[in-house]
Amino acid sequence: MVTENALRGCSFFSSTPETAFAPEDFIADELLMIQMAEKFSREEILPQVEAIDQQEPGLMPALIAKAGELGFCGIDTPEAYGGLGLSKNLAARILEFLSLNGSFSVTIGITSGISQVGVSLFGNEAQKKKYLPLLTSGEQIGAYCLSEPNSGSDALSMSSRAEQKDGKWVINGTKMWISNAQWATQFIVLAKVEDKVTAFIVERDFPGVSIAREEHKMGLKGSSTARVVLENAEVPLENVIWEPGKGHYIAFNALNLGRFKLASMSIGPAREALRCAAAYASDRKQFGKSLVEFELIQKKLAESAARFFAAESMIYRTGALIDTAFDYCKTLDLPEIDANRKAAEEYAIECSACKVFATEAEGFIVDEAIQTYGGYGFTEEFPVARLYRDARVSRIYEGTNEINRIFLADRFLKRVKEGKASVVASGDSFVSELAGAAFAKVGDAPGQAKVGALSDLLMLSYAEQSARLRAARFPRYGAVYDLFLNWANVQAGQAYQQVTGEGVTIPAPRSANLGEIAQAVVRAKGPLD
Amino acid sequence: MRILLPIKRVIDPYAKVKPLGDGSGIDTGNVKFDVNPFDEIAVEEAVRMKEKDPSIETIAISIGGAECEDQLRKCLAMGADKAILVESTREHDPSTIAHELKAWVEELKPDLILMGKQSTDGESNQVGQMLAALLGWPQATYASKITIEGGNIEVVRETDSGEETLTLPLPAVVTTDLRLNEPRYIALPGIIRARNKPLEKATEKSNKEPNIRYTKFQSPPARPAGRKVANVTELLAALSERGVSL
Repeated sequence: MVTENALRGCSFFSSTPETAFAPEDFIADELLMIQMAEKFSREEILPQVEAIDQQEPGLMPALIAKAGELGFCGIDTPEAYGGLGLSKNLAARILEFLSLNGSFSVTIGITSGISQVGVSLFGNEAQKKKYLPLLTSGEQIGAYCLSEPNSGSDALSMSSRAEQKDGKWVINGTKMWISNAQWATQFIVLAKVEDKVTAFIVERDFPGVSIAREEHKMGLKGSSTARVVLENAEVPLENVIWEPGKGHYIAFNALNLGRFKLASMSIGPAREALRCAAAYASDRKQFGKSLVEFELIQKKLAESAARFFAAESMIYRTGALIDTAFDYCKTLDLPEIDANRKAAEEYAIECSACKVFATEAEGFIVDEAIQTYGGYGFTEEFPVARLYRDARVSRIYEGTNEINRIFLADRFLKRVKEGKASVVASGDSFVSELAGAAFAKVGDAPGQAKVGALSDLLMLSYAEQSARLRAARFPRYGAVYDLFLNWANVQAGQAYQQVTGEGVTIPAPRSANLGEIAQAVVRAKGPLD
Repeated sequence: MRILLPIKRVIDPYAKVKPLGDGSGIDTGNVKFDVNPFDEIAVEEAVRMKEKDPSIETIAISIGGAECEDQLRKCLAMGADKAILVESTREHDPSTIAHELKAWVEELKPDLILMGKQSTDGESNQVGQMLAALLGWPQATYASKITIEGGNIEVVRETDSGEETLTLPLPAVVTTDLRLNEPRYIALPGIIRARNKPLEKATEKSNKEPNIRYTKFQSPPARPAGRKVANVTELLAALSERGVSL
């Protein structure tokens, strides 16, 4: 029974649910789908990472087509438009396992995600019927065009303009950092009509559309990134999504869901990095012992597993919440578009928290993987160097982690004003207690550093609670939870000091046996499950 | 034509298993299960036959607890038409399984029984042979190629001395080897369709008691450390010390 309880964005801060969805709750045939995604990654993608990184002509579109045949390009798109109509949470979990290589991950993530979601949530029936099936089948690839050379984080300052002329829209502007640009045949383009942001569906073959050269990137070398240039680009009138002036809702809600998906796309490579590190630590011998017998290496594996556990716990808890919100909003007496907007906005704060936390966990895990390999990790002979390079952009795109940190606290305070969230003095953990105290003491007009620290407290509260709820259900996670809690308490203490300028005593750490956790990671061949 | 596909639920063949502390069985806590890989090859072969000849009907059958439904659903997702779960929680051995399957064969009257040559857990490699004997049907084990020609089936089987080709009249029992095929990726739409395919739950038809009783499970003793020899002469001497003569 879906009730109003479905709209409980930010409630983690003021209450503790009895339970929360955990990855263990995916049922048997969903697990089979997830297993197929991993099989596809291991057999079709990972053996070809060199060729993918060299952008071997035709390879990536062929891989997407193959993924499309298996149903991977439209998991949560409605069946009426060629998708499978499955939950966003399951789609995210499948995407995690399709993301063991970063370049393939971003390509399929965008064509199955952000390039469809604008049309599937806010497009009209004719647009959905015309454009979505070509993407869900994997026959075509999609792209999403928001950033510009002078408008990145400050997205709404865009200078692309659209005006009506001779029964058409004419768009002028340059879109920057467009993933999939080289292969895409349909682009969601944001441009201003007068001063109002508007979303358009632009086909590659429309007059005036051209793609600039590939960017030379630090990582994700196998993904396509280029500028999309619109020079008097002619777009049919019916290709406006929703209506002129609604583009910012479309852009931001696509981004809310995009951030959630990006979180799962970030722990996919982290999963692979931890798998590699565990295998190496177990095989490689120095001083007559496996690396995994050395405590400083155990610490790397154990802390990576702990951070991964927390990220995974919060992501799939969030996915389930988002699905419930969508199910509930469908029952409301609202036009479909408004219901979708309401649902997509409800857990925006949790989505941002997942994005920031998961991408930083990924950064930590790939870094420790390199360190575990030592000198070999710094060479291209082993897979971790690529994982490391590919991971770096996760903290930059889909809203930099800085922008997300401003957004988190900002949106939270806005919800408090609207009566949709509350700051409470007594939390359910040391972290949330500190968060409550910090919000009470922050005062007016805090600077960005304080706002960022408040966001950290929110994010850590959510991560800690999610990890705690899962560990309570599955005692085998007790040790990684304890290890994570120790880290989270220290982080929260620092953030509190940043906000208040006051000292704080961190609780004594729980004892966690690093050797046992590291051995468990080796046995599990990566993150604990 | 009707093909019966006996399926066994086994511990993930790539997992490291360990016996329970008291030796009463295998520790199944937090291990994954899958369809026995040889049975999966049988399902794949049957689905390929059906793709060539849509009049073929394929039925997967498994004997075990309610949890075997997961593996039967996987077979349905691969393309099997329907599934039967014979619910049983008692002890089994190859003979009880063969007797139970015989009873189902008499009811379902398949033209071909296609099953793994062995399971990756017990590795008995007996059920197919016993079943053929109980039914009085011809059998071909270790199939690496199967061709149906009218009322006959031609099977290339792998033996220690090379390949052997047999032609059998149907009905027959064929057990599959690794090289027969490589099971497909299961497309997500197939998994969703499998949710609505028929899966019948039934009770056991046979009350055959097992011939084998498992008394204790234990890990093999750890191998003692090896010893390095300097040259071939020393190696030969070491071997002959152990009673190995060349």
